[in-house]
Amino acid sequence: MPSAASEQSLVSRFQLRFRRSEAMRGYTLLSPTLTIVLLGLLFPLMILVTLSFWKQEYVDLIQTFTLTNYADFFRKKIYYLILYRSIRISLLVMLVTVLLAYPLAYFIAFHVKRNKMIWIILVTIPFWTSYLLRVFSWKVILGYNGVINSGLMSLGIIAEPLEFLLYNPIAVVITLAHAWAAVAILPIYVSLEKIDRSLIEASRDLGESAFMTFIRVTLPLSLPGVIAASLLVFIPTVGDYVTPSLVGGTRGIMIGNIIQSMFGKALNWPLGAALSIISMITVTLVVCLLLGATQLFRKKVA
Amino acid sequence: MKKFNRDDYIEQLATGKMSRRQFNKVLASAGITTVMLPVFSGPVNAAASDHPNVFTWEGWDANEHHGEYFEKYGEYPNFSIFGDEEEAFAKIKAGAQFDVTHPCSYKVEIWRDAGIIQPIDTSRLKYWDSVIPSLKNIPGMMANGDNYFVAADWGLTSVLYRPDLVDEQYQEDETWGILWDERYSGRLSMSDSLIDGVMVAAIYGGAADPFNMTDAEVEVTRELLRKQLPLLRYYWTSPTDLENSMAAGELVATSSWNDAFTALKAAGVNVKYMNPKEGAMTWVCGFCLMTDADPAKLDKSYEVIDAFLAPESGAFSILEEGYGHSNIDAYGLVDEATLADRGLSRDPEALLSAGIFQVPIGNEAALQSMFEEVKAGL
Repeated sequence: MPSAASEQSLVSRFQLRFRRSEAMRGYTLLSPTLTIVLLGLLFPLMILVTLSFWKQEYVDLIQTFTLTNYADFFRKKIYYLILYRSIRISLLVMLVTVLLAYPLAYFIAFHVKRNKMIWIILVTIPFWTSYLLRVFSWKVILGYNGVINSGLMSLGIIAEPLEFLLYNPIAVVITLAHAWAAVAILPIYVSLEKIDRSLIEASRDLGESAFMTFIRVTLPLSLPGVIAASLLVFIPTVGDYVTPSLVGGTRGIMIGNIIQSMFGKALNWPLGAALSIISMITVTLVVCLLLGATQLFRKKVA
Repeated sequence: MKKFNRDDYIEQLATGKMSRRQFNKVLASAGITTVMLPVFSGPVNAAASDHPNVFTWEGWDANEHHGEYFEKYGEYPNFSIFGDEEEAFAKIKAGAQFDVTHPCSYKVEIWRDAGIIQPIDTSRLKYWDSVIPSLKNIPGMMANGDNYFVAADWGLTSVLYRPDLVDEQYQEDETWGILWDERYSGRLSMSDSLIDGVMVAAIYGGAADPFNMTDAEVEVTRELLRKQLPLLRYYWTSPTDLENSMAAGELVATSSWNDAFTALKAAGVNVKYMNPKEGAMTWVCGFCLMTDADPAKLDKSYEVIDAFLAPESGAFSILEEGYGHSNIDAYGLVDEATLADRGLSRDPEALLSAGIFQVPIGNEAALQSMFEEVKAGL
């Protein structure tokens, strides 16, 4: 039975190969993840790219290659203006979140001696409810009859409710900064926790002030956490559309709202796809710039 | 084998007596149950899949609108809810399957052009003869001798305002202009849509045909929208937000449908619904059969439409939701005073023809991008 024999040898050859080749074993181990990444990320992304080179005419998709959608982005002021505005809002959110997260992470890492776990769990509590509920609760807090307004009014500090609290870009920044706080606190905490305490002691022993020790030792060593936190906050907030549409009012719309409108009201999927791709590329560029800037900073300080 | 006792397990868990292996066993059985639940409960759910999938607005899935269907089958159709027709359209284009949908008449032409709806055989509807004649003959609903739309409900788009918080002149002189009154800056709102928002500006700007504007009229509309933007608290998308803001006095005037007026009045808020001198808008929504409707559920799909057209369902619309209904017999179930109170009448045709009837918008795409530009502050 020659065929069975050759089959046998094929199987054993494969087994041999499998045992020897580390890469092969690696890929086999990865294969469930790899399948999900291919089907769930790469495939939809390819659809998006293809769609962005088509054209919408009334209810029909014209399936011939065209650059009109990308040309529209540069021709009409609105798209890059909104993209610029979104990035500005997200950078502000990133700054506010990281600045507020750092002291808290610092406190937990250096000053909490017992029950650190409880502190960390407390930090994640906002994450226990859905994102949408967190946005809605800010609507309740900042609203016309909201917690802040009714509180200030019952204390007699204001006579009329403050209207500037809700429905503007500031409300978007406040809401996003709270919604993403835990995502910023945890990586900063981890990098602070890892710092070798003897380095700080050495710096103090050698005569540096507490402040300079922080600037020259603690801060540079915790930078990886700060960078991770910044990126984790910046990247997802650029495309956010729930928050601006709920608390942003007439002036707080972001690129996510425009893209959503392209896939909905405006019925122009190709332009929506092109805008998504452009905003992805822009976010990548901004991230690269941020990383470059921190590299520069690290070199200067160290 | 020891019988499973939940309290025992909880007791053991609480006192720390449970071994790790025992604990894992409990977790594993809970996990298996969760995973297998959909598998074993499949046949139970199968009954629900016999019913048509109905895609409709929030509120129209109320049991009162489907009483006749329930009487016959003891169950309700399967409902999915959309916020506006554009969202519905996007979902249908993306492949969601429905048997019956509930768009408004001005969307029927684009839906037919997109090939997502099929002709309706009105002879299969037992209430078709009671439908108000003018609602049977809305222009554009017929194509090649086929009817694509069964009118079900109708209403108004007009100004809802707080007479206690605005100048008395507006009670004498009702106008859309209140939405441009700088005295109420920050306390006005408009619908975030072309049909109920941008068209308001077009009507106020005096466009001859707001739904088919000349370039000059579009520019007038754009200017009005620009002027209005800083005066608005927000563009509304959810009637609930609108009702809360109106009740709180956060807003003093807004464009709105009848439902917010009826709801706020029932809640005892001092509100009035205008009949603006420039004309209120009127609209009709109803049912379409989808192209990819399940042929096996076709009979039931017609019964879903019939149940909604029933006079009792119409009376519920008028009394509880403040909307008009397409079945003329529904008005017989409501007394004159209630009708007047809702701003409706026993002669809906007069009311409908007095307003500006919403029809498909010409050059929708260009107007939408104009609206986006205004909202972006350009």
